[in-house]
Amino acid sequence: MYLVADISVEICAAKSCKLCTQYCPEANTIQYSDEMGKDRGFKYGSAYVAVDRCKGCAQCVWVCDNMAKNNAIKMIMIDQLPMAALTDNITYGEKSTTAVLASPVVG
Amino acid sequence: MSLDYVKFSNGFEKFMPKEYRDMVEHGPFGKKVSVSQMGSFKEVLEEHPMCAGCAMTLFIRLAIIAFPNPEDTITVGTAGCGRLAISQAAIPFVYGNYGDQNGVASGLSRGLRLRFGDKPKDVVVMAGDGGTADIGFQQVLHSWFRKERFTTIMLDNEVYGNTGGQESGMTNRGAVLKMAPLGKKFEKMDMLQMAKVAGCAYVATVVPNNPRRVESVIKKAVLIAREVGSTYIQAYTSCNIEYAIPTDKVMEDAKTVENDRYQFTEYVSEEAKQYLTERYGYKEFLAKPAAAIPGKA
Repeated sequence: MYLVADISVEICAAKSCKLCTQYCPEANTIQYSDEMGKDRGFKYGSAYVAVDRCKGCAQCVWVCDNMAKNNAIKMIMIDQLPMAALTDNITYGEKSTTAVLASPVVG
Repeated sequence: MSLDYVKFSNGFEKFMPKEYRDMVEHGPFGKKVSVSQMGSFKEVLEEHPMCAGCAMTLFIRLAIIAFPNPEDTITVGTAGCGRLAISQAAIPFVYGNYGDQNGVASGLSRGLRLRFGDKPKDVVVMAGDGGTADIGFQQVLHSWFRKERFTTIMLDNEVYGNTGGQESGMTNRGAVLKMAPLGKKFEKMDMLQMAKVAGCAYVATVVPNNPRRVESVIKKAVLIAREVGSTYIQAYTSCNIEYAIPTDKVMEDAKTVENDRYQFTEYVSEEAKQYLTERYGYKEFLAKPAAAIPGKA
């Protein structure tokens, strides 16, 4: 098993700085969804990780902890994530994306 | 090379992979995208085999987003790590033999101007420090002396990262590497000064820990290269493998190096300033109004 980044929607949707997606070396890996936080009553949307593309470098963790000072991202073993976003389940909209979460191991 | 470049052939839409369909329907072609919209559109760059946490990849990702017209851009590269990512983007990539990327780009740029006339077609060279300052040095410098109108970007990781860690001309003096165990005995080459002497219209240094600055620098360089002359960007893109930087500390290293010896610098020739202001509405080069003198109404 290997580590992937996991973003806490509760913390992310409260501030929504989008720094992690700007500092991730992988394209379309940390995505942004306008709906992800709002369905739980948060003001903004949230970033999320397409775990099938994440290489586990943890650069986003440093950026979230030290630049944004949000501490919203943790590295987690992929089989410990109950639900996660996968590239196949992401749809693009006009200004945002929507992800249907699924088991990262089973798909 | 046009908006029709990425599209479905009739009847094939349902057979294309999801990534391709997303690129056609939600890619940046024909739209203006910026760094602040990252994460909400399909990027030109796809999955690539570069190492986890590589700062060079981050720079390439930002650079490709910053291209003013990605549908009208051709990238040229050479051997080195960078081409592993650049070649995975949905824009044409020409792979020069080692060292001749600026020669290839010269011919390409001239040919595109003959074929398409006034319609801007951008040529961007992205090569490593070895390809630009060592093995391709002659062709790089000559393309600048000839004022060839394309952008040269050096991905400066200060080492031959792809072949096990030999010193390059851009390695710092004293640096000990796997294949340079006694430490480098000479100073880092001053390519910025050489670019200015050779007559580049725009010369900048940048570190990818400021995505908006990378975007602005790339845009200016590509626009100036359309008509004014050669442009050169030198980007610090650390090699976390050869310099043993833990992947989660890559941005910390970038920040330290930026403060220490890789500060942002930008040289814009007077002609380029005038061109950007008049043609593309840049306001930063306009003459500042004289400050009011205290005590005088």
